[in-house]
Amino acid sequence: MNTYLTQVWAILRKDLVLEIRSRERIGAMCAFAVLTGVLFNFSIDTTTVRPNEVATGLIWMTLIFGGLLGVGRTFHLESQDGALQGILMSPAPKDAIFLGKLIANFVLLYVVSLLVLGVFGLFFGIDLDRNLGWVVFVLGIGSLGFVAVGTLFAAVAAGTHLRETLLPVLVFPLMVPMVIYGVGAMTPLVSGRPFTEVEGNVRMLGAFALAAVAAGAVLFRYVVED
Amino acid sequence: MTTAGMRRGGIVLTVLGLAGLIALYWMCFFWVSTEVNQGVVQRIFYVHVPAAWTSFLAIGFAALASGMYLWLRDDRLDRAALCAIEGGLVFATLVLTTGPLWGKIAWGTYWTWEPRLTLTLLLWFIFVGYIMVRNSTEDPDKGKRFAAVVAIIGAMDIPFIHLSVVWFRSLHPEPVVAKPDGPTLPGDMLVTLLFGVLVFSLLFFGLFLFRYAVEALRAEADLRSRSTA
Repeated sequence: MNTYLTQVWAILRKDLVLEIRSRERIGAMCAFAVLTGVLFNFSIDTTTVRPNEVATGLIWMTLIFGGLLGVGRTFHLESQDGALQGILMSPAPKDAIFLGKLIANFVLLYVVSLLVLGVFGLFFGIDLDRNLGWVVFVLGIGSLGFVAVGTLFAAVAAGTHLRETLLPVLVFPLMVPMVIYGVGAMTPLVSGRPFTEVEGNVRMLGAFALAAVAAGAVLFRYVVED
Repeated sequence: MTTAGMRRGGIVLTVLGLAGLIALYWMCFFWVSTEVNQGVVQRIFYVHVPAAWTSFLAIGFAALASGMYLWLRDDRLDRAALCAIEGGLVFATLVLTTGPLWGKIAWGTYWTWEPRLTLTLLLWFIFVGYIMVRNSTEDPDKGKRFAAVVAIIGAMDIPFIHLSVVWFRSLHPEPVVAKPDGPTLPGDMLVTLLFGVLVFSLLFFGLFLFRYAVEALRAEADLRSRSTA
């Protein structure tokens, strides 16, 4: 078990160090997220809709679009110079590689989602004083579910000649439960309702995330084998 | 089964299915009684529901075949999954055409985000994703593996999509057959519906076998051209 964790950690550390040094994906994702908020602001007719009422939905949409931008490039660096073959030939089992990649993506997306929460809170006047802890928690579970599906299909898309273009077609239909339960949990929370009211939604979100992580860990080996 | 056997089986099932379809249309236009509340428009139900049933049968079948393909690596299983997906796409398209036609009259709108309609739309996209992935790799074996993963994840996600869209909104008529305390559908309507399910399943498997025979011939031709080259 310990070697397994070391192997997961090795992949995770490599990806995070690369990201911290290059700041390639996080920079693009953060800029994307903030600019999306700006554009969303102009897409809302404030005479008919109160911005803070639709803001939670927009947060989840931004998370999905921005997440796709970053997660889609999970295997981009490795696709050059045969680096992916190198990693796959290492003694680490394929699911350890998947989990390492997944956690690295999760850290990345979670940082972006917290930024999105802060920025959208500012732009759309969401009251973050109430239930901030639970909102942050729900965003975390949602991000986990997204990166689990996203990382698996990023590996699939990287192996096709359509590359990232294919990713939305594969990922968006599967993301419907995440959006519904995510928004369904977050909207009451930011309007000050107690957590017990949305507990069922959060449970479903968690079940979705767990199922996605497990399925990804099992199926990843079939995607990368050669 | 040999390819010729497949084709014969395909012909038999498809002919049976088509004959059944004529009978089904007869039943649904002349035999079954008109539903009191909805009137004549309800008759589309006998096509809509069997088609929906068939498209969900298709994704289940394809996911099963895909899982077994990843395990056993038998090309026949992969072919079966592909043919089920293509059949499912056809029947899901039928559902998505008949649903809004009925909805326009019954609900006054072509489209609503009603749970089962939404689920079928997403299922349709999962079918499309499967076919797109499969056709976008240079190495056919890679495409088969990728597509199998899409089918399995897609089938796994369906319960989640179902639960979430039901939670989101429900406008669709409540189930009238698969209920804990037995069907509430009047006798002749239930008979017509079950006959419809049978006919559509026959058609599906007939088309499936036909399609399978084509894929088998294609694989054979590939092998032959490779051995001469």
